[in-house]
Amino acid sequence: MSDEEDRRGKAERRHPSEKDETAMPRRAHDSGRVRAAIRTELEEVAEEGAELQARTGVGHGERVITLENISLAFEDPILENVSFNAKSGDTVVVVGESGTGKSTILKLLLRLLIPDKGRVLIDGEDITGLTFDDALKVRQKMGMVFQGAALFDSMTVYENVAYPLREHTLLSEDEIEARVREKLQFVDLEPERVMDQMPSELSGGMKKRVGIARGLANNPEIMLYDEPTSGLDPLTTATITYLIIKLQRELGVTSIVVSHDIRSAFRMASKIALLANRRIGFFGTPEEMTGTDDPYIREFLGGF
Amino acid sequence: MSDTLRSDYEATHLILESFNDAAKRGIYSLQEFFALAGKAIGFIFVKPFYTTDLFQQMDAIGVGSLGIVLLTGFFTGMVLALQSAVQLQTFGATDYIGSLIAGSMIRELGPVLAGLMVAGRVGSGIAAQLGSMRVTEQIDALNTLGTDPIKKLVTPRVLASLIMLPVLTVINDFVGILGGSIIAKFYLGKPASLYWRTVFEQMLAGGFTLHYIPNDFIQGLTKPFVFGGIISLVACYHGLKTTGGTEGVGNATTRTVVTASILILVVDYFLTQIILAVFPS
Repeated sequence: MSDEEDRRGKAERRHPSEKDETAMPRRAHDSGRVRAAIRTELEEVAEEGAELQARTGVGHGERVITLENISLAFEDPILENVSFNAKSGDTVVVVGESGTGKSTILKLLLRLLIPDKGRVLIDGEDITGLTFDDALKVRQKMGMVFQGAALFDSMTVYENVAYPLREHTLLSEDEIEARVREKLQFVDLEPERVMDQMPSELSGGMKKRVGIARGLANNPEIMLYDEPTSGLDPLTTATITYLIIKLQRELGVTSIVVSHDIRSAFRMASKIALLANRRIGFFGTPEEMTGTDDPYIREFLGGF
Repeated sequence: MSDTLRSDYEATHLILESFNDAAKRGIYSLQEFFALAGKAIGFIFVKPFYTTDLFQQMDAIGVGSLGIVLLTGFFTGMVLALQSAVQLQTFGATDYIGSLIAGSMIRELGPVLAGLMVAGRVGSGIAAQLGSMRVTEQIDALNTLGTDPIKKLVTPRVLASLIMLPVLTVINDFVGILGGSIIAKFYLGKPASLYWRTVFEQMLAGGFTLHYIPNDFIQGLTKPFVFGGIISLVACYHGLKTTGGTEGVGNATTRTVVTASILILVVDYFLTQIILAVFPS
């Protein structure tokens, strides 16, 4: 057996995990390269953003969402003294390691949870003291996209997107259909193809897009996303990220995105909030984040 | 304090503490259950009315359970007639078999059997459905879309059960008595006219309320109404409280069937006592 054949044979006999070793994500040693790539991406996104802001006037106006000194504990403390805000048209991405209470922040914004201390302000209104019925009204200002899309599996795609319209508007059936089609087209789905399908017939990415369309149906001022890109392939991740950016730019929607996907986060964020040890470890623009000397943040970015 | 005394003291303290915790948890669960029941029943009278959901649930709970109720009712009536025939023959009282079957079916077996069947079939279904909705965040999605999940999911199920269980019980009673008539005719050789006459005599023998309503009917229809409430509320409670993924859904389903079945049997006893006191024969 020649050396060449021997090498080929060994390679074939190797365990798949060994075979993949060369393709594994590069770690700290080339985090510089990652940061450089992110910087280039940021510059491109910033240029596009500035151009659009000048053209449309979508900008950074008054504060729409404010979290003030929020503390929350169940059996153990979850959040301690967490504060940040989002101005009109901002996309704030909350990043952090798993289990640091990122999704809890969304539940606080929706008033599905009430903080032990601190205030949550939506459009200047403190929602922490609201009654259950008043909280339902505040939630109508918001669209939420869940990690698993949370589509109602007993309803078709059409009925899912139409649901908030039927619940809270007096639109006629024709108007509802027009709105559903518009929202499905906005998320790059063909209404004719998907409207009559059941959620179980859709792929993960399509479910997420229908979830976004349902969140958008009532034309909310605020969109909340819980891990919008988790469990998706890179191409679909890019599509969903693009959709969130498109929403911000075309509709001026204020968004809070909870994610552990730092690459997508950098593409879409106006501000990044890093949650570490139950507190906000960093709150600022992506540029400020890449420029920091904080060892934890550097390690956090390097991990990607 | 000696070491033995200290360890005894600590052990007692630990036992008391765990007993205290369990009692607190129990009372808290009861409180949550009654809060859910109060809200669900209160929402029956508050707009918006989810009539489509109500009719869907009436179809699923009522029409969907028809087959199982027909089968159990029919065979229970037949076996009851068969067993009673042996006893009645001893006293030469086989003419009264219709009376015995009607009394047992309408007052007791009809409501309890329909209740147990529906608890198994519908209760488990409701718990599994709501449990799955909870673990896949669909309940949270309802909340965020500005809908009260209790109003949208629990109220239609409770109302549908309250309406459909008495209907199913009446059907169960009828096919049970019909099953008994077959045994009376072909096993005991009694004419159908005699059988049905004793059935009607039994229905009217328990006395009347408001001059026209036979007391047996009051007993036979109050029970399934209460059982319908128990089954749907227990199922919705366990479904909405589901945690821990698919395993949690399984646990919620099992707990629902066990709790609802036991409650039906226990409540049946107390309800019978109350009804007999309020509407004496």
